Amino acid sequence: MTRSCSLNRALASFVVWPVVLIVVFPLIWMVLTSVKPQSELFRIPPSFWPQSITFEHYTTLLTETPFLKYLRNSVVLSVSTSIVVVVVAVAGAYSLTRFHYRGRERLAVLVLFTYLLPSVVLVLPLYLAMVKAGIANSLFSLVIAYTSFALPYALWLLRSFMASLPVDLESAALIDGASRLGAFVDIVLPQALPGIISTALFTFILAWNEYFYALILVNTDEARPLTTGVITMLVSSFNIEWSLLMAAAVGMSLPLIIIFIFLQRYLVKGFAGTGVKG
Amino acid sequence: MTDIVAAAPRETWGPSLPRQYALLGMLLIAPSLLVFALVIAFPLVYAVYLSFFSIDTPTLKGEWVGLANYRTMLASGEFWASLGTTIVWTVGTLTVQVIAGVAMALLLDLNFYCRSLARSLILFPYFVSTVVAVLVWRWMFNDVYGILNRALLASGLSDMPLDWLGSMPNAMISIILVGAWKYFPFVVIAVLARLQTIPGELYEAARIDGAGAWSRFWDVTLPQLRGVLLVIVLLRTIWDFKEFDLIYLLTGGGPIAATQTLPLLVYKQAFGMNAMGQASTYAIGIMLTLLTFMILYLYRTREKGEAA
Repeated sequence: MTRSCSLNRALASFVVWPVVLIVVFPLIWMVLTSVKPQSELFRIPPSFWPQSITFEHYTTLLTETPFLKYLRNSVVLSVSTSIVVVVVAVAGAYSLTRFHYRGRERLAVLVLFTYLLPSVVLVLPLYLAMVKAGIANSLFSLVIAYTSFALPYALWLLRSFMASLPVDLESAALIDGASRLGAFVDIVLPQALPGIISTALFTFILAWNEYFYALILVNTDEARPLTTGVITMLVSSFNIEWSLLMAAAVGMSLPLIIIFIFLQRYLVKGFAGTGVKG
Repeated sequence: MTDIVAAAPRETWGPSLPRQYALLGMLLIAPSLLVFALVIAFPLVYAVYLSFFSIDTPTLKGEWVGLANYRTMLASGEFWASLGTTIVWTVGTLTVQVIAGVAMALLLDLNFYCRSLARSLILFPYFVSTVVAVLVWRWMFNDVYGILNRALLASGLSDMPLDWLGSMPNAMISIILVGAWKYFPFVVIAVLARLQTIPGELYEAARIDGAGAWSRFWDVTLPQLRGVLLVIVLLRTIWDFKEFDLIYLLTGGGPIAATQTLPLLVYKQAFGMNAMGQASTYAIGIMLTLLTFMILYLYRTREKGEAA
């Protein structure tokens, strides 16, 4: 019994793992290319594994390109978007799940609708408004624009998290004379913390990966995040240095890799929370 | 939205959470509403307003043209051609996403070594930035040094390097496949979560009835997945339809305009042709198309669900 079980297991591994490796191959290839000397890319026949490992592309990236500036912009942008969105959404989601007032349900539907709204509709008016307000071409304008897709998303996610929390403890605290705010801070926040962390992570990733708004709203290296910045490096280079670009791609994926290694359970939680469980 | 602010609390929430808290509730939702009004409601109204103007992008000077932009939209071959391209792209990439996603979920549901590692590796394409995905794929698609062409030549499948992005129908097939690669993990996660909740007795019963693996999938698994697949198809249709980054960065809409989907057309009108008003009209066109699709889809699936 056990033997056939482990045999099945080995057999399944032989089927599944090659498929998984094919799917992630482009990402493996990205890492391999980034540590190959440029000359190795153009050799015939090509090498699969790097013959000699080099980190020169990473050094070039940090010293001779505006990568660090883009990185700083991306960090500022993603962190501020996450903070603003999570603070506003925690209050909003708490209100949507624990208070009763007219229009509450309609509001929840509205949130879902805005979550699905194509950003291509909002981008032109936002661009015009930012130019007229004189804040275009700044990280600030991007934070504002990013809330337009991040807030509906965070509200939707947090709403389903908070709806799943039991109200008993909170009611008990209120009966014991705690103020509503006190109960919120002492009872609700600790319970909702995993949900809040996963919402913050998702918001961070959304902002970190965003390209479209950054393309339209920002036209200067001073405020350009990594996404549009690295593409500028691709477009403006005379002959494309692929290993340098692959190093840049690895560099801008680093936060994701860190999140995947250390905080992955929050990502899975976040997926369950989007309501695609069926 | 106004009635929320004006409304007096009238429902009781239960003995422990008194009704006077409704005011606090509204206070807590107020920042969200403010942001919504500022970055969603206002731009939405403004977009409709813009669509009645002819606006020059560099100077932002405009004049009222009434419905002229809409007339141009409906009369221009470019809009309909782009709509067709968008539908081909959406249907193509979505089909691959769903089939590959369900198949991958079934595989990952098996019992095999290092299963949780495999499950997290599969998520990577979905979470990585589109910019990263595009850079890697463009490197792999490279005509001389890209690994795909090198493998193609080495294996003898072809004696000419393939032009993956610069000719048709290759360009369309390439973006469909890269899109499927990038977004199918979404299907995998959703389906996998659902697979784990299907009771084992169902399979047991089917096995006793003599059902083979294929008919167990067809008669047990698939009906159980119906609900989650309906949600997946709705969400992914909307998201694929409005996809800009991936197509713009892979082909830029080319060759000529063969992969120019509607969001790319909006961008080209606004910043290539400097016609911001016309671009807004196209954007409104996209929204109305999606809205119509959503209503029809929800109506149809609900109807069928009740009949079943």
